[in-house]
Amino acid sequence: MIGHATSFSEYMKHIVLIFGSLIVILPFYVMVSYSLKSPHEIATNSGGFIGAQQPMVDEYCVKLGNPPEECMQKPLVYNYTQAFKKAPLLRYLVNGLVVTASIFFIQALIAVPCAYALAKLRFWGRDFVFSMVMFCLLIPVHTIALPIYIMLAKVSLTNTYAALIIPWTISVLGIFLMRQFFMTVPDDLIDAARMDGMNEFSIIWRVMLPTAIPALLAFAIISVVAHWNDYFWPRVVITGDRSLYTPPLGLREFKGDADGSIWGPMMATATVIVTPLIAAFLLAQKRFVEGITMTGMK
Amino acid sequence: MAARKNFMGYVFTAPAIILMLVILLAPVFIAATLSFTDYSLGNSSFNWVGLENYLKMFSRSTYVKMITASVTYVFIVVPGSIVLGLGAALLIHSLRRFGDIYKTIYFLPVMASLLAMAIVWEFTLHPTIGIINKTLASGCGNFPEIFFSLGWLPFVDGSSSWYSTCCREGFPLWFGDKAYTMATICFIGIWQSFGFNMVLYLAGLTSIPRELYQAAEMDGAVKGWDRFKLVTWPMLGPTTVFVVTISTIRSFQVFDTVEAITRGGPVKSTYVMMYAIYEKAIKHNMVGMGSAIVVVFLAFVLLLTFTQRYLVERRVHYS
Repeated sequence: MIGHATSFSEYMKHIVLIFGSLIVILPFYVMVSYSLKSPHEIATNSGGFIGAQQPMVDEYCVKLGNPPEECMQKPLVYNYTQAFKKAPLLRYLVNGLVVTASIFFIQALIAVPCAYALAKLRFWGRDFVFSMVMFCLLIPVHTIALPIYIMLAKVSLTNTYAALIIPWTISVLGIFLMRQFFMTVPDDLIDAARMDGMNEFSIIWRVMLPTAIPALLAFAIISVVAHWNDYFWPRVVITGDRSLYTPPLGLREFKGDADGSIWGPMMATATVIVTPLIAAFLLAQKRFVEGITMTGMK
Repeated sequence: MAARKNFMGYVFTAPAIILMLVILLAPVFIAATLSFTDYSLGNSSFNWVGLENYLKMFSRSTYVKMITASVTYVFIVVPGSIVLGLGAALLIHSLRRFGDIYKTIYFLPVMASLLAMAIVWEFTLHPTIGIINKTLASGCGNFPEIFFSLGWLPFVDGSSSWYSTCCREGFPLWFGDKAYTMATICFIGIWQSFGFNMVLYLAGLTSIPRELYQAAEMDGAVKGWDRFKLVTWPMLGPTTVFVVTISTIRSFQVFDTVEAITRGGPVKSTYVMMYAIYEKAIKHNMVGMGSAIVVVFLAFVLLLTFTQRYLVERRVHYS
């Protein structure tokens, strides 16, 4: 046998890996911890992880003319309510959800039939279409954001939901992944379906798609992670209208006027934005890791 | 029947073809064309300026700084995230237990919004209230200062070390001091991306057949390092080629950390290409110049990917 690790070297490995873990986790710790603390505890770096949760005075509430006794809140409650009140965070989250869901839905709607045709149908020019897909795979959309932005501006589509979605409607990576997967589906299955009198649409919908759920999930994960977290493109096309902000844009706006008292609510916002994907990842780690590594397979 | 299938092939691919032409290919031509003009959005006409935009890019100090910043970032983040990714993968793969826990932890930054985490890092590294500088300062005059300034070694004067100097003159402004900013931005880049490389390397490691190690051992490669050189590293070749390419392309596209924290400063030391495109072309409406940057950028990316494809084709016989 090889690799008879002594327990000493096993310990050393754990020490190195734990040290790495501490650095990796540090900002997450800071984010969550400071989203729970009062400004004073943040400024003095005291209070441990969750802070003392001493009720504090909400200055803004006092300014509105309420007596200070009625404006006492626990820092945790204060930070998270401020996160949702100071900026329309809920609106941003809904925007993020609508945009990411629409993007994936349209991507799949276009990629799946195309991938099926490229994998299983014979038609003149098929190889050319496939090489076009392979070529487009070389173009990262962020690099050509400027000309796309100009095209959208020319048709007055900037500052709309459409602008957030349109550039991402075509996913050549999705076409490629689905095509590779469909190649492995036996032809007999499709021939049998044709014998039964199914047309090509129902073959895709009722034969190909159910077998392709794992590939589709991987595609969904790649797409959702990329677009929920994307900051560059929304920053470019959404210039004025706050009601169209996606979560990262909303958080960035928050930072614009940062002073001591706003750090807590800002960290609360960051926590709210980061949590959905982290939670999904922790619940379905294997799927996520497989999905993400799929981009690396040839 | 055959004719009908034929027809459906066009029906199914047509939407994708149209979108590829409009969204991916047309913009490349538009950018290439505009890069020879002084076009601005809102102007009804423009002038052809020939190669002027490109010449500016390689002569004006702003753009030279831009290329320097991007290249520096790539040259630090790519090796950094690959070495750490591979190191983590090797360690985790060789563990008998608990490997999955580390894998999960190291993958967390890949999932988190980089913009959000950039803001958290900025806060963590804040000069007055940041936890890092506070912790470092609390070590002054105590064990950490003595330990890290190496004053405990014979014949070493610890007072001129980095740590002791900082204790006297204050700890760095990580995002305000030109000497540190690029390094700190790179650090965040590595922190964010090495978990992704680790996962790819772990997939690569599990696909190496065990017999190869046994064979190597019979050939006398008993030590870990020999086995790594003889079996692991060559077998990871295709993974490495892919990891290098994707890391490089992604590093060239760095934007979130720069826009949120430094805005290209101080003194343009972190003025990377994506930020330059955003600032020049979109905020200042210098579309012609921005397009030239886009073209150069795209040329970098294409060159890299073609190199990768070439290397992979050459290495196909390994797998």
